[in-house]
Amino acid sequence: MRFPKLALMILAVALASCTKKSEDTIKVGVYGPFTGGSAPMGVSMRNGVQVAIDEINAAGGVLGKKISMVDRDDEAKNERGGQIMLELLDKEKVVAVLGPINTGVADASTQYANTKKVPLIINVSAGAKVNELFKGSPENFVFRIAANDDIQSRVIVNEALKLGFKKPALLCDDTNYGQNGREKMEAVLKEKGVRPVYIGKFKIKDSDMSAQLQEARAAKADVLLVYGIGPELAAVSNSMARLGWKVDMIGSWTLSMSNYITNAGKNGNGTKMPQTFIEASAKSDKQKKFIADYNAKFKESPIASAVSAAQGYDSMYLLKLAIEQAQSLDGSKIRMALEDLAVPYEGITGSYTKPFSSSDHEAVKEANVMLGMVKDGIVVDSTTQKK
Amino acid sequence: MQILISGIIQGVIYALIAYGYNLTFSTSKTINFSLGNVIMLGGVVGFSLYVDRATGQLLGYPYLFPIIGVLVTGVIAGWMVHRFAVAPALKMKSEYTWVLATLAMGIIFKNAVEQIWSTGDYRFPSPLGDDPIRILGAGVYPQEIMAVIVATVIVFSIELFRRKTIYGKAIQAVSEDKDTASLMGIPQEQVVKVSFMMSACIATIGGLMVAPWTFVSATMGSSLGTKAYVVAIIAGLESGFGLIWGGLILGISEFFTARYISSGYKELPGFIILILVILIKPSGLFGKKSIKKV
Repeated sequence: MRFPKLALMILAVALASCTKKSEDTIKVGVYGPFTGGSAPMGVSMRNGVQVAIDEINAAGGVLGKKISMVDRDDEAKNERGGQIMLELLDKEKVVAVLGPINTGVADASTQYANTKKVPLIINVSAGAKVNELFKGSPENFVFRIAANDDIQSRVIVNEALKLGFKKPALLCDDTNYGQNGREKMEAVLKEKGVRPVYIGKFKIKDSDMSAQLQEARAAKADVLLVYGIGPELAAVSNSMARLGWKVDMIGSWTLSMSNYITNAGKNGNGTKMPQTFIEASAKSDKQKKFIADYNAKFKESPIASAVSAAQGYDSMYLLKLAIEQAQSLDGSKIRMALEDLAVPYEGITGSYTKPFSSSDHEAVKEANVMLGMVKDGIVVDSTTQKK
Repeated sequence: MQILISGIIQGVIYALIAYGYNLTFSTSKTINFSLGNVIMLGGVVGFSLYVDRATGQLLGYPYLFPIIGVLVTGVIAGWMVHRFAVAPALKMKSEYTWVLATLAMGIIFKNAVEQIWSTGDYRFPSPLGDDPIRILGAGVYPQEIMAVIVATVIVFSIELFRRKTIYGKAIQAVSEDKDTASLMGIPQEQVVKVSFMMSACIATIGGLMVAPWTFVSATMGSSLGTKAYVVAIIAGLESGFGLIWGGLILGISEFFTARYISSGYKELPGFIILILVILIKPSGLFGKKSIKKV
């Protein structure tokens, strides 16, 4: 009889501490890929959120309560995204969710934000549907602070045309992300009356793209527009070097990931991509302080994916402002506060005055996006620097 | 030209790994499904002994260092697969336990690497430099030439060893008929064990060779392991040199499909050939006909 009693006591203590904890902290869910090829984005995003949470807690928290993060690794697997969202919402009872990174994961999980009426601020995923969700659910709980594919593909195509290229070749990975990007880039090109001379794709983990690149070269492409994530984009750059084919490469913002920059090495020099934050050209005190705090906390310089870290940080602050304005932890009240933020927010990725409205949940607009360029292992602002 | 050369290089690597399947199959009549992850061990151990993971810079040791490291890894991995997966399964006289047991070993290797090492993708700078040389207008990395040479030398020397030396003949004897071989005084368990170590060494060396162009990661071996298995089946599990032809068929067909049909269908011809071979000549294109008396 002694053992069950002891077990019961332990259980009771554990339960008591559990309930106590959830009373005086605000739980915020964070999910993204913390392992695999997308990991630099996921880990940087989580770290960025952590920097923000630590700052907020040090300053007294929100509504007198401390914030705690509940983080889950979705391994960039679509089906994991849905499972995690349900776990965060039903079991962990989080107040709001920040994340995810991969478009497929987002597509498989964002619906739960609307069905369970808990706000989700997408802080990295560019391909996730956000404003489109209004059709199905006018009370939309999904927000985004990241340059979406519409904006990105526009910036990419505009840059190519500005540089005078007329025969673009598109090369994208075969995931939801890459194919969504390809569709958007094609649409923008069509609008401008330009036809891509070649459209190719590759798989995750492919390491030799020479077949596709030869095809593109044979089609006399003068610029390569790419959409994918770090490791495979690096393989594209390396295969170009192998063929000895030199054309400009412009692509998705993921070209700023550390695993693109290190894996492509010198072959990555000159590659351009849209960015919402460029570590090397941080100007404001706030940006500098963020980089210093991040480096001090995670011993990482440069940040593996600075864009993800910055957007993660900003997403947490937008949530904090909304909770303060709502004076409540109720999902619907936070959503209404987000749609009508009274105080302007000076963030790492830009200044936001009324970032969201009841019909537009995209905080980042084309004007917020800079053009980055890989140069000797770091990303520099290519709008100020001549190539 | 580029596709032909790329295809040949890829094919020779497939053949090398397929040869690893062949070695253990001939002595133990089991297929080591963990071989793909043993390749990965070679890449990861070689990388850790040669490159600093945090900065991507070389540690400054000579290339001999990772070579010895992966050979030792191969011996240990081969011993482990034999000791913990294959030997118990063979003792149980169970027909197919080894399928799951070797698969399980592979998963253990992969998860261990993910836990201890990392799940990221890393670049392995080639000791011969990262600038391609031009041959007839096609770009080839020095590392790829080295890989082809190393693979060919390994396959030829092991074939010679098997045919010309007394130890090799012992292996042949065990592969022909285990029981008779042990009656003749050949320590057959020893022979099987050594064949597993040799096969794992081949795989780890293969991993070290391909690392500079595939990136090093915990999952780098899985597709290579599967493709090599396809090669082994196409060529015939028991044919030594036939594997090289099998490797070339698969490697070249992949690159030609990617270039002229679509990169999305890259893997298709290999598997179509695989199915045709299984339907028409189950012992493989270069396999000998075996008559099994029951």
